[in-house]
Amino acid sequence: MACWHAWRTSYGKRTPVSPTDRRTVGELLADCDALARETLLDATFDRAPAMVRSWNQLVGLAAELWTALPSAPDNRSGSDPMERLRVVGEAIGRSVRAGHWPGQGPTDEHLTQIGDNLSRARHLVERHSRNSQPTTLETQAQLQEFRSELMHTLYVAAHGTAVALGAYVTDLQDRLRTGTRRRQPLAERPTALEITSARGIIARFDGFEQLAAAHLFGITSANPDQTRVTAPFTRLESALAAWEIQAYRTLADRPDPADLVRLARVQALITSTTGILTEAAATNGHIDGAVIRRLTPALEASEAAWNRTAKRWAELTNPASRTDPSLISAASEVRAAISAIATNRTGWATPDQLAARVDLPNTVKSLHLSMIAAVDIAYVVRDTAVDHPGLIAPARIIGMRAQGEAELAIEQGETRYEGVTWTTPHQIAANQLIPLPEPARRGLINLADSVIATTNRAVAAAAQLDTSRLTRSIRSDHATHRGRSFESRQMTRPQSQTPKGPCR
Amino acid sequence: MDAETSETVAGVVRLLRRAAELVWVASDTDGAGSPRQLLALGIDLAADEARNLLADAIRIDGPAPVGSEPASLLRSAEQLLRRIATREAADGLHGLLARVANLVWEANTGVSD
Repeated sequence: MACWHAWRTSYGKRTPVSPTDRRTVGELLADCDALARETLLDATFDRAPAMVRSWNQLVGLAAELWTALPSAPDNRSGSDPMERLRVVGEAIGRSVRAGHWPGQGPTDEHLTQIGDNLSRARHLVERHSRNSQPTTLETQAQLQEFRSELMHTLYVAAHGTAVALGAYVTDLQDRLRTGTRRRQPLAERPTALEITSARGIIARFDGFEQLAAAHLFGITSANPDQTRVTAPFTRLESALAAWEIQAYRTLADRPDPADLVRLARVQALITSTTGILTEAAATNGHIDGAVIRRLTPALEASEAAWNRTAKRWAELTNPASRTDPSLISAASEVRAAISAIATNRTGWATPDQLAARVDLPNTVKSLHLSMIAAVDIAYVVRDTAVDHPGLIAPARIIGMRAQGEAELAIEQGETRYEGVTWTTPHQIAANQLIPLPEPARRGLINLADSVIATTNRAVAAAAQLDTSRLTRSIRSDHATHRGRSFESRQMTRPQSQTPKGPCR
Repeated sequence: MDAETSETVAGVVRLLRRAAELVWVASDTDGAGSPRQLLALGIDLAADEARNLLADAIRIDGPAPVGSEPASLLRSAEQLLRRIATREAADGLHGLLARVANLVWEANTGVSD
């Protein structure tokens, strides 16, 4: 293994690549980190669309390297943080391929170069780890360093992309204002839809960055002797991580409306549980009362939005609908874990019972992380509502729903729906399954938007519960992104994960 | 799975779906943070599992189950499952029976009343 675990000697200087690339795994990863930092420094608005397009491939290559790195024999981790990030990256990639903003186009040179380095590192690891296992403590420590370096690269690159996107939105808004003032033709001005779409992508990159940060900076143990040591995954944390990954997988493959119903109900339950445990943490003095006063209504609104989403998707189910067995299994584990931790024979457990059962501060932080992930899941639900080509529904209920949504839209000035009938008398009489009329689809999209907005508010309200100074609430609004300047371009790494120096 | 067993499982699906519907109504009435959602979700998942035991060709729709007590609907589902979960029955049926029996216990502890 000695030939691939060498560390580079300095940060920030990329080793020139000769025609026969002789860089070690350590050097390749150091170059990736340096390139990610350059990405952050050069995060100009014009690069943002290309960076978004490159993202899925970059995360996919990082995940492949992560998988290729040998695991320590006593690895106690209950879930794979990179898998969580991979599914988020894939969801962003699917959205772009489906034609959502920024759509098809050129990719980003820096991110592609990082991806090439990761790919090369994976080949080296695969070649050299075939005949050796990480048996010594030194080797295991270096593998851990590689993982930290890899995660740090994604963390910095995600931050850089979010910064570039923030600048992009600012530029669009400036151009829109100028265009309106000068009465430019509409076709020459940016659209409000483009601004909204870019903001949505910012929120997703912010979420990605926070998920990476949570792994990188760890969830610290309540035991002072174990400060800055990542606590082993509890059943709930493992169940939540597995749930998120499965939710993405199910949504990626033309889900049945029954899948959406179950997904939304589970998200509502997770949100409820977050509220219960956060209140218990406040009762036990772990959280400031002011945070609770802001957070509780936000969580309630998010839960209500998920439940409304579930009910609306339920209208699209029919007696023959099936739920993905893997989703059932992941949902069952979330339910069982919540039931074991947070309930007693009469309902929710009392704050004292909860304090006796779990490490409240860390569990609340894990649930907060899950809330961040929920925002991205809501975006994927929205994409499903927009793109799913096979959505059908029973004519009677969906005819009424489409009419209701159309009337609302007409009140808001939509003229295309005036005088349109959404079902035929024959379809109504037989209650046939019919393709989803456009206004009914619009209703599903609006509900997903409501989940995104309310969950974002809950994430913002819970920002003070965060595990790291560096993680922030998901900010998709204009004002906060305008403020991202020099400070937002500074990234630090945790003390405990500073490379130890050259070993070659 | 023979036709008679399939028909029984389809009946179990209907019972579970009806029970879930009733508990969701109660949960919605409670408002945010209702503990009943745990039971309602559990019943939904059991109904999903029962549905997935059946082939596409089996019709699930049929007469709506009578009754407005989730606990008694769950008990009926459990009794039906006990009849068909014989020693020779598929593992899926035994797993489903265990799941529904747990839900009957949960429903009787007061959270779903």
